[in-house]
Amino acid sequence: MPIFHKREVVRLQLQTAVEIFLKKLNYSAVITLAGACSGILGPLVARAGKENFDEYARRLYGELSGQIPKRPSYSKHITQILGIIAHKHLSGDDTDLIELDLEKLACDALIRAMVDYSKLYGDSEPFAIAFFGWVWANVDGAKVMKDYLSTPKRIRPK
Amino acid sequence: MTTKNYSRLELASNQLEAAIGLFVSGGDRFSVITLAGAADVILSRLILNKGKENFTDAILKAEKKQKTREELGREVNDMFFINQLKHMDPGDDGYIDLEPEECAIGAILKALANYITLAEQRKSFVDVFLTWVKLNLDPNIYNVNCDPNWVPSRQGK
Repeated sequence: MPIFHKREVVRLQLQTAVEIFLKKLNYSAVITLAGACSGILGPLVARAGKENFDEYARRLYGELSGQIPKRPSYSKHITQILGIIAHKHLSGDDTDLIELDLEKLACDALIRAMVDYSKLYGDSEPFAIAFFGWVWANVDGAKVMKDYLSTPKRIRPK
Repeated sequence: MTTKNYSRLELASNQLEAAIGLFVSGGDRFSVITLAGAADVILSRLILNKGKENFTDAILKAEKKQKTREELGREVNDMFFINQLKHMDPGDDGYIDLEPEECAIGAILKALANYITLAEQRKSFVDVFLTWVKLNLDPNIYNVNCDPNWVPSRQGK
């Protein structure tokens, strides 16, 4: 039976998600694939001694509100607001309909996964260049960068 | 970018359609497994909400397994490596050994069985996959014509 490392699993799923996203084919699929990749990449980034996306978001929330939320519940909160949970779970008391902006959620879920991927493996692969290029052009990269540079260093990502 | 209301069936159907589209076009098998697996969780629950039996219930009944629905559901998901492709647990060395093609076919078939039970209107992706099955799978091992009385004539290699 062939043996694979999860690094390869993540790379292929992320590459597929970016392709589906850029071609605007199926945003639900992008959300699920990006969520699956983050489920692997988050722990891999932490094992490498780096700060993953969820951890940065948790630290930022703590800096801004004065209260640091618990790690598992904050990660769950992120997967909830990105629509990832709605795409892979359903409990008996969930409503039949759910209001979502699939394109926005797909973009945000991909950013989360790609940030962690690039921390580990860089951003020079063609799918990473294509995605970050799209984000720069479509999510007002210049303004985001200006805002970032005016942010105090203590609340920037490590 | 627009906020809209989506039914749970739509979310599952979107993902199953993507899984089948990727599969028949030779796309990444890991993505197929993840998408079909996610769709199936929603579909299985929607069937239960309607008071019907889902695919896991049907296996339990057919094979007279002394297991709960949850235990058997977990076993089937593990057989297709669905959780392994989206989680990294503490102590996990990151290596998995699987046949991506077989797991992808299995994950789609399970979700598709639940989708057919549930969907009132059959979408074209169902026929696309069933045609692929007829053209590509061994009829001695797989029930390629969806015959309810079919039994395998020999074991797979």
